[in-house]
Amino acid sequence: MKDKFRPQSGDITLSDLDPSDRSLVENAVKKGFSRREILKIMMATGVTAATANSLFTKSGEAMASTPKKGGSIRMASNLHGPDDQLDPRLFTSTIDYTRGRATYNSLIRHSNELVPQAELAETFEPNSDASEWTFKIRKGVSFHDGSPMTADDVVYSMSRHLGEDSTSVIKSVMSSVKEWKKVGQHEVKAILHSSNADLPTLLGLFQNKIIKNGSTGEGNGTGPFKMDSFEPGVKSVHTRNEDYWAEGANLDTIEITGITDPVARVNALISGDIQMATVIDPKAFRQVEEAEGVTLLSTPAALQMGICCLKNTAPGENADFVKGMQYIQDRERIVKKILKGKGSVGNDTPVMSAHGPDFCSELAQREFDPDKAKFHFKKAGISGAEIFSAPVVSGVQDAVLLAQANCAKIGFDLQVKKVPTDGYWGAVWMNEPVNVVTWNMRPTANSQMAIQFAPGAAWNDTYWNNDRMGELLRLSLSEIDPDKRHAMYCEMQTLIHNESGMVIPAFSNINDGISSNIMGMPSVPLGQLGACEWPELVWLA
Amino acid sequence: MMTQMVLRRIGIGFATLIVVSIIVFIGTSVLPGDVAQIILGQSATPATLAQLRSELGLDQPGYIRYFIWLGDMASGDLGTSKAGGASIVSLTSGRLGNTMMMAGIVSLISIPLSVALGLWAAMHPGTWLDRVITFGTLSTISVPEFFIATILVLVLAVELHWLPAIAYMSGDETGWQLMKALAMPLLTLVIVVSAQMIRMTRAGILNVMSSPYIEMAILKGVPRRRIILRHALLNAIGPIVNVIALNLAYLVSGVVIVETIFAYPGLAKLMIDGVQTRDLPLVQACAMIFCATYVVLILIADVASILSNPRLRHPK
Repeated sequence: MKDKFRPQSGDITLSDLDPSDRSLVENAVKKGFSRREILKIMMATGVTAATANSLFTKSGEAMASTPKKGGSIRMASNLHGPDDQLDPRLFTSTIDYTRGRATYNSLIRHSNELVPQAELAETFEPNSDASEWTFKIRKGVSFHDGSPMTADDVVYSMSRHLGEDSTSVIKSVMSSVKEWKKVGQHEVKAILHSSNADLPTLLGLFQNKIIKNGSTGEGNGTGPFKMDSFEPGVKSVHTRNEDYWAEGANLDTIEITGITDPVARVNALISGDIQMATVIDPKAFRQVEEAEGVTLLSTPAALQMGICCLKNTAPGENADFVKGMQYIQDRERIVKKILKGKGSVGNDTPVMSAHGPDFCSELAQREFDPDKAKFHFKKAGISGAEIFSAPVVSGVQDAVLLAQANCAKIGFDLQVKKVPTDGYWGAVWMNEPVNVVTWNMRPTANSQMAIQFAPGAAWNDTYWNNDRMGELLRLSLSEIDPDKRHAMYCEMQTLIHNESGMVIPAFSNINDGISSNIMGMPSVPLGQLGACEWPELVWLA
Repeated sequence: MMTQMVLRRIGIGFATLIVVSIIVFIGTSVLPGDVAQIILGQSATPATLAQLRSELGLDQPGYIRYFIWLGDMASGDLGTSKAGGASIVSLTSGRLGNTMMMAGIVSLISIPLSVALGLWAAMHPGTWLDRVITFGTLSTISVPEFFIATILVLVLAVELHWLPAIAYMSGDETGWQLMKALAMPLLTLVIVVSAQMIRMTRAGILNVMSSPYIEMAILKGVPRRRIILRHALLNAIGPIVNVIALNLAYLVSGVVIVETIFAYPGLAKLMIDGVQTRDLPLVQACAMIFCATYVVLILIADVASILSNPRLRHPK
């Protein structure tokens, strides 16, 4: 289904690639990706075989390196605190996800291209209409305490996301599952309320880890690292699990900690006290890029920089106001100046190229057009509005100020109310008529759109309820024909682009810093540091 | 008479703590958003919110929660952290230990250093070294500590690679390794707290030096060194001890910025994390520990100045 990113367009050489593609390929080579993986990336960016070969020769040294065992890594996340968790269903931040990835396994994991890969599930098969999924569970897997992992553990772990009383963070995402059923000692079945062809992809979510029956996680998993110590808000130490069911990790130990101050985090990375730092601020890009021995990793992702105009109240209820807000966004400038090139232009839909073939590249890009914005504001009969802005995603504050300046030029008074992130999600988001928003990238275009735009959804943050949208979200999940499926996804993105109250001028890349001797970094775009998939994969050169 | 005075001080200390407990409790209650909202963040739904709220006991009225909390605290039970579910005693004890260790090492270095430098400056007023000390202390007092910390990191860690940029402890360091891991925050804090103590020592002694009995001692031909150490220092000790006590209290509770910049797992940083996660029991517990530290240290300083002052020691 997800065979390629975009159509090939004749002969292209490396220098013709746009900077983000070029850095993607160069990064991949530097990080020691396999030849096949790199070829795949090159196909996606449209490079010819000749260029590919010359690139291989130049980077022969990097290509020759093979994984080797040993060494340790200290990683610092941007957020940690006394609420750090070992219970997978309550995971909310990068530091939890990383510990989860090191300690536990899931049924399914994501590849860099977001294709579901079997992990603790050996195989996963839908029935004819994808309303039931059968999972064969891997045999010979044991928890760190020595007990074997069986279907009971899987059913227990997965059922913790279901039901009225569940406090699971992904309760609503997993709500399409009616029941998890044990079929045999190593076989389980998911029975769904309605068809869902994307279920395997959802099973790769950070919270869907398999823990021991009856436990709350407690650091006893089947994962590539055993947990030696865990102090919430301080650090955790993990050593390689020598009894791992797969080939296993390369590093001997990893330490996971947090440095909340962004400047201190970058300083610690550059001075070598830590080898990985999550979330590098655009202001520090140059410092990291110019420093010896560290690399800035920038992964294109659907980390939206969004503005919600609530459709159930003024001024968002007026479609022309929303149009005005969309046309006044200087998208190119936001990406180039505010995100320093580490981002991509948005088209007022939450879906973008990183979502793969479900992205509607045919939909015409909305451009910066002050005249049209002026026209629409005038038609709406509105001469000013108030926007609530908090630094929820990198660059959003500056983007709002840029919009304010551009509005002023066409005589529209956009007042910016700066508020802290602290308490933002409870007090401002979904409450104030115009507010900024961000969403972490979801693994499928469907879940990405459903969370914000399904009629009546709990987090429909523009209160835009469109029946056709709801219908398409449902139908597309059981559509197997690629062309029809794509047509449906295009119709949904067009609907959001034209009718919703959403303004998405840009997407931020995921930006992290790592030591240059770390090889084999994954680039799964669902979170920081390759969606925290690195513990099992990386090695030190 | 003196015992009575000390007892009265202790009584006032207790009253202060009670008043502070009320302020802390009210203050934490009026923060926007509740624990449930913050824990669930963007992924909150009304159903999960209600569920979590009742799980956390947030549906009871405030004053009942206050008295339950006060009673628990009086019996040494600081409660459980609402975010992580761990007991607050276990969360805070390790952090308090870290903070106390840092404060202890800093005071061991800075108190003798600043008293010595202050004395030296007072003994030789107007010399070039006195001027250097005055200039240095005035500059460091006027500069915020995060600036000193950042400059030190840039020079010593990022440029020269002599010291680690963060105070990261793996837990099994001893002696020299520990000193190296903690070198940056120690250096920053020593610079910050010494400046004030040096100035206070110098000013206190020079102030006493102008009093008639010192003049008498000078006229009798007592050497300046002996005048300062025997007569002036003992009479200036009251204000000096007070400044030292305030600086020690700062080392326990006011080092938020330094702990954040160096990612040092101390108590002040725990409190900040607690505020971010709306972990009210944790914030309240930290606030009470800080307040108690202040009260105890100021109490000690007061008693010390009473003891050093015959007029207070033997009131008419």
